[in-house]
Amino acid sequence: MQELKQKLTANIKAAYPEIKEKDYPGNRLDFTVDKQYLVSILTYLKESLGYIHLSHIACVDWLEEGEFEVIFILWSPEEKLKVFLRVRVDRENPVMPNVDMIWRQANTYEREMREMFGIQFEGLEAPEEFVLEDWQGPPPMRRDFDTESYANETFFHRPGREDALDVREEIIKRSREEIPDFAKKYSR
Amino acid sequence: MREKATTLYLGPQHPGITGNMMVRLKVEGDTIVGATTEVGYLHRAFEKLQEKRNWLQSFTLMCRFCVPETDPMEESYARAVEAIEGREVPERAKYIRVMVLELARLASFMLWYGGQNGSLGLYTMGQWSVGDRNYILDLFEELTGGRVYHMYIWPGGVRRDLPQGFEKRVLKTMDYLEKRLDDYDDLMFDNAIFKKRTQGVGIVNKEKAIEHGVVGPVLRGCGIRSDIRIDDPYEVYDKLDFEVPTAEGSDIWARALVRRQEARQSIRIIRQVIDMMPGGEFYNKVPNPQKWTLPKGDAYVRTESVRGEIGMYIASDGGTNPRRVHLRGAAYVHAITLLEDVLIGENIADVSAIMNSLGTCPPEIER
Amino acid sequence: MINDKNTQKLVDVIQNWARKHSIWVLAYGTGCGAIEIPPTMTSRYDAERLGVRGAATPRQADVLLITGYLTTKTLKRVIRVYEQMQDPKYVIGFGSCTINGGMYYDSYNTIKVLDKYLPVDVYINGCMPRPEAVLAGFGKLQELIAAGKADGAKKYKENLDWYRENQKRIIPNWVMPDYNW
Repeated sequence: MQELKQKLTANIKAAYPEIKEKDYPGNRLDFTVDKQYLVSILTYLKESLGYIHLSHIACVDWLEEGEFEVIFILWSPEEKLKVFLRVRVDRENPVMPNVDMIWRQANTYEREMREMFGIQFEGLEAPEEFVLEDWQGPPPMRRDFDTESYANETFFHRPGREDALDVREEIIKRSREEIPDFAKKYSR
Repeated sequence: MREKATTLYLGPQHPGITGNMMVRLKVEGDTIVGATTEVGYLHRAFEKLQEKRNWLQSFTLMCRFCVPETDPMEESYARAVEAIEGREVPERAKYIRVMVLELARLASFMLWYGGQNGSLGLYTMGQWSVGDRNYILDLFEELTGGRVYHMYIWPGGVRRDLPQGFEKRVLKTMDYLEKRLDDYDDLMFDNAIFKKRTQGVGIVNKEKAIEHGVVGPVLRGCGIRSDIRIDDPYEVYDKLDFEVPTAEGSDIWARALVRRQEARQSIRIIRQVIDMMPGGEFYNKVPNPQKWTLPKGDAYVRTESVRGEIGMYIASDGGTNPRRVHLRGAAYVHAITLLEDVLIGENIADVSAIMNSLGTCPPEIER
Repeated sequence: MINDKNTQKLVDVIQNWARKHSIWVLAYGTGCGAIEIPPTMTSRYDAERLGVRGAATPRQADVLLITGYLTTKTLKRVIRVYEQMQDPKYVIGFGSCTINGGMYYDSYNTIKVLDKYLPVDVYINGCMPRPEAVLAGFGKLQELIAAGKADGAKKYKENLDWYRENQKRIIPNWVMPDYNW
């Protein structure tokens, strides 16, 4: 396992010298790349090094740092290693290259990221709406969109118990019984 | 006289699949020349809801991702949280987890038998297999308290120990179900109507499979032997002895043969687990779950469910609420881009059967 | 002699008796709860002994079973399906998501109270309700039909403006016909 990881790191660093890597226990290896090398490094991993399976594309919103982080996770059936490729995109004007032509299923992931986060992919050909219909608000998965206040304004709620009585007291009052001693230690 | 292509709207309700999805077909006569899928009828915004719930509360949302088979989601959540924190799980808990996962896989197979045949018009199979599935749900109810949503596998182990005499009841149910699988063979796999309608339909050949990133029984039906339980083993699967079946042909018939063998292997695994179950602890206790924080980091774990590979990515920023939980089911890859490719050239009457065979489960796609 | 009150009452009793023993449910599972409908309809918790069976199209169905949460996209289709059904028709709300929003009380895409958009006759609570609870819900609907109190359809027709205003508030792209009863 450790020699395979070192061989892979040596291969990648020979072709792309500015990459930073980080090692984890188990069969996981992380690389942080720049946006401009993304398509070429993915093609190199798929065609020459045997990482033919794209397992996942995830996106995390780091609001405090003002960036999105997009993570590509690849798997190789022969070497049995997982490779994470991390890319950071600016939050004000997020533009990413399209990797549709390498793996066809990336089309679905990119459609969802475009709708939920607002990231634009150059050259993506797909219908605009994926999951939401006639949505006029901001991209919903961004951290500055508050879903609870939106739900309170748009939908009716069933009015509940505004007074929030203590259930245990009420039951004691109604049934006029004492709770036994062993149950008393479970109150809040 | 040449006909123009017309558009046909199929959906949102299909016989045989659990969920709502729309497929827009462009047809000329009876042959399909183009297809567009549309999802979004079941979108609840799970990942947005998890921003406001802490680690204990978002565990209750986990099992409602995929409705026919709810345990792999809880198990991937538990394993990912343990990977971020570095928490150890006792041996007995791992064996109990494998038993629960395989029971859920069997129950989902029973539902699949009904669905695949229901979409072809053979309704007797659904009555038999859904009736037998109730015996497995009885076992779940005794163990966890609920038939469909269990909430039993928790980071650190499982929530309570097995009841007394539970292993005997499980073995009795397994003996009964093994006899019933022979009956299903007579009704379904020796049936001339089923063979004629499924051989040569819905072909996914090897190049298309690798280009679209196909997983699970669809990949095993093409002849490629790939299973997460063997390639990237988790829990105690590396100590158990079972086979991974493959079939040639890549049509609906080949995938049905693969699933038929997998049901028998599930019964074999459950019997081994009950034989090898050690004693000891079943839960590595989490101190005060209401105020539990995890260190900063992320993790990605994979599980093998009935339809293929489930990937769960969790990112934590050091607080009490998760930063990002992103689950991707097998249907996400199969039911949108692959389906639009496979449907070209088929008849309208086979669309439901192809959707069921590729493993379409819309609640998993749009969460 | 035909139009006096006693004959009318006798006709009502016979008509309600016939209706309550043959309830056809539209085969449309709109949410999570559709996973407990196959066990209810198959051999162990057999619902067909009460006269309950599945119907294929809205024009042939009596009951619309809303199983679980409804998103705004599905609500648009369900309203059209409900208006295509013929009288007498009933709506059963299934699961706690139809009562007060359930687990998804702060989601931006699901509706919280079903009663403001469609008239509901019977609620069955639980998450999921067991098949025995579903059969008890059908029993309660049968009692309401026998007493002549299951009049959700009449309420919808009389208060159509109020229901339309609530529906148009959350569905921005209204492409359905405005019926004039």
